[in-house]
Amino acid sequence: MEEIVSLHDVVKNYGQGKVITKALRGIDLKIIEGDFSVMMGPSGCGKSTLLNIIGGLDRATRGDVKFNGKDFNILSNKALSIMRRQHIGFVFQNYNLLPVLTAYENAEYVLMLQGVEPTKRRAKVMHLFQEMNLDGLENRYPRELSGGQQQRVAIARAVATEPQLVLADEITANVDSKTAQSLLELMAALNKNNNTTFLFSTHDPAVIKFAKKIIILKDGMINSEKASSEEIEQFTHK
Amino acid sequence: MMSKLLLIIKIARRSIWRNKRRTLISLFSIVIATGIPTFFVCVAWGFYGALVDDVARLMAGHITYEHIEYRDSPSNDLWVDDIESINGILNNNANVESTKQLINLQGVAHTAKGSVRVSLMGVEPSKEIFISFLPESIVAGEYLSPGDGRWVIVGSKLAERLNIKVGKKFVFTTNDINGELVEDLFRVKGIFETGSKEIDGHFVQSDINFARMIAGLDNDDASQLGIIVKNPDTHEYFVEEWQNTLAKNDGVFLSWQQIMPDIATTIQMDRTAIISFMFMLVVIVLFTMFSTILMSTIERKREFASLLALGTQQIELKLQIFFETFIFGIIACPLGSLLGVGFAKWAEGFDIMSIFEDVNPEDMEIGGFGMDTVITPLFSTSLILQIGISFFLAVLLLSVFPIYLISRISITDELRST
Repeated sequence: MEEIVSLHDVVKNYGQGKVITKALRGIDLKIIEGDFSVMMGPSGCGKSTLLNIIGGLDRATRGDVKFNGKDFNILSNKALSIMRRQHIGFVFQNYNLLPVLTAYENAEYVLMLQGVEPTKRRAKVMHLFQEMNLDGLENRYPRELSGGQQQRVAIARAVATEPQLVLADEITANVDSKTAQSLLELMAALNKNNNTTFLFSTHDPAVIKFAKKIIILKDGMINSEKASSEEIEQFTHK
Repeated sequence: MMSKLLLIIKIARRSIWRNKRRTLISLFSIVIATGIPTFFVCVAWGFYGALVDDVARLMAGHITYEHIEYRDSPSNDLWVDDIESINGILNNNANVESTKQLINLQGVAHTAKGSVRVSLMGVEPSKEIFISFLPESIVAGEYLSPGDGRWVIVGSKLAERLNIKVGKKFVFTTNDINGELVEDLFRVKGIFETGSKEIDGHFVQSDINFARMIAGLDNDDASQLGIIVKNPDTHEYFVEEWQNTLAKNDGVFLSWQQIMPDIATTIQMDRTAIISFMFMLVVIVLFTMFSTILMSTIERKREFASLLALGTQQIELKLQIFFETFIFGIIACPLGSLLGVGFAKWAEGFDIMSIFEDVNPEDMEIGGFGMDTVITPLFSTSLILQIGISFFLAVLLLSVFPIYLISRISITDELRST
């Protein structure tokens, strides 16, 4: 299996001078193609910071961050942006769909940025909408969709470009348990059928059931990559 | 590339309608801000244009050829000769509507009632009928005809002061070109009324040949040659060209601004006042518009951050903001121009004196010449476009700061905020 992400001794500090918050304190992590990893930990342990650094949204204060062997530290902001567009999908807690675009247009958005031909875009998005039970909702605006439907559109947007890695930050936090279950089943199916790699940050025990690998983060450090049932219990009751 | 650009334009177009009320208020304010100056400029420039054209046609044209020292001291003994050759050339010029030879004599008119300082202008009546508005201003008697000799027309106030009527006589005293005092008897053929104190009180017109005879000038001599051009806006170009190609040693071509500096200065001051008013209006409206655009950008920082996270380039978001203001401008500015023009068109023919009933029409003068108080707007395409484009560019400038804000967005900070 190919290594997609490799982090070595990654440190992230916020603030300057005497007031420095150490968000990450020497993270070593590898994400392999086909992983369905779940990152857990108490609030403020650095989960979102780590996701941001892996996704190229933020830069590490120190340490190596490599994606497909490319060192994020030496890439320009523009190159990072292109890297995200081409290889990384994002699913956010608040969906972050563009309110002025329809469900179909939102899912098509990154494909358009990539310059994919209209016929291919349409085929891809319609296929995903069928797969995700979004049939008939193509022309609805986000405000006309339920939270679960919005999150499905956000997932469709994230996977439409067939990225190597999808980063999902607390994606079940704003939906009911039934919807969360169906979203996770959907993503697990994508992982199984398309070999899409997922990295979740969550407190939701439902997510853990689908995880192939559980990463426990505590005080900015990885505590273990094989969580005990007590640890799972502890972090899912937040 | 094209589909990406169309996507950006689509998002921009839909984004500006997100808050319909705010958008409509902004559009309305730009429409009004473009419309008001357009209206004012059409009307004011129309007043000025009509005034200048009327005075130029009554007096010495849009461009005047005269003796080089005549401006400093407009005395009777400063004239230009060989006028026919220049006149002939200019009459064949496609840009010239007409020319008029003038003899100007400063003198005094006497009757038993008293004496009044007057300006006698010898004109070619056959041309004057087509050029000047004076023949239409006759309120008693008739206008001049060629060969009228000592028959003249006088202003209504002059007639009153000298107590003369149509058919009556008065004596005109002046100096000829040699400085000799000469006197002649004139008979009133007509009385005109222009509404201008100066013209109605001190102006006399006679046939040019009789005026030449009094002054002692030859047929080929004149005090001035007035040139009426087809497009008065282009007159400055011809002044220079004709000075270089046609002027004799002692002759000079001058623009109406040089001939009538009082009018030129007053118009310039009035225009400056209107432009200053426009500028203040622009600043007020643009400030309102600016806060709208800025607010809408700040409100969407999180949205922009998520788009950046998905791989949207900064330049693509900046283009989106630019297109949002572009769409605002491209809709509102032409509408504003149309509104201003439409309103000016609607006001055409309206006499502003009907509003200002307490104002004496004779007080509505610029440089001694009465203003026509009836609105005759000037619909100059270039002027209307200049106002519309200026507003449009100013609206576009409003996108600069929001674009700068976009470049400062921190994706992680914005996504972290709820």
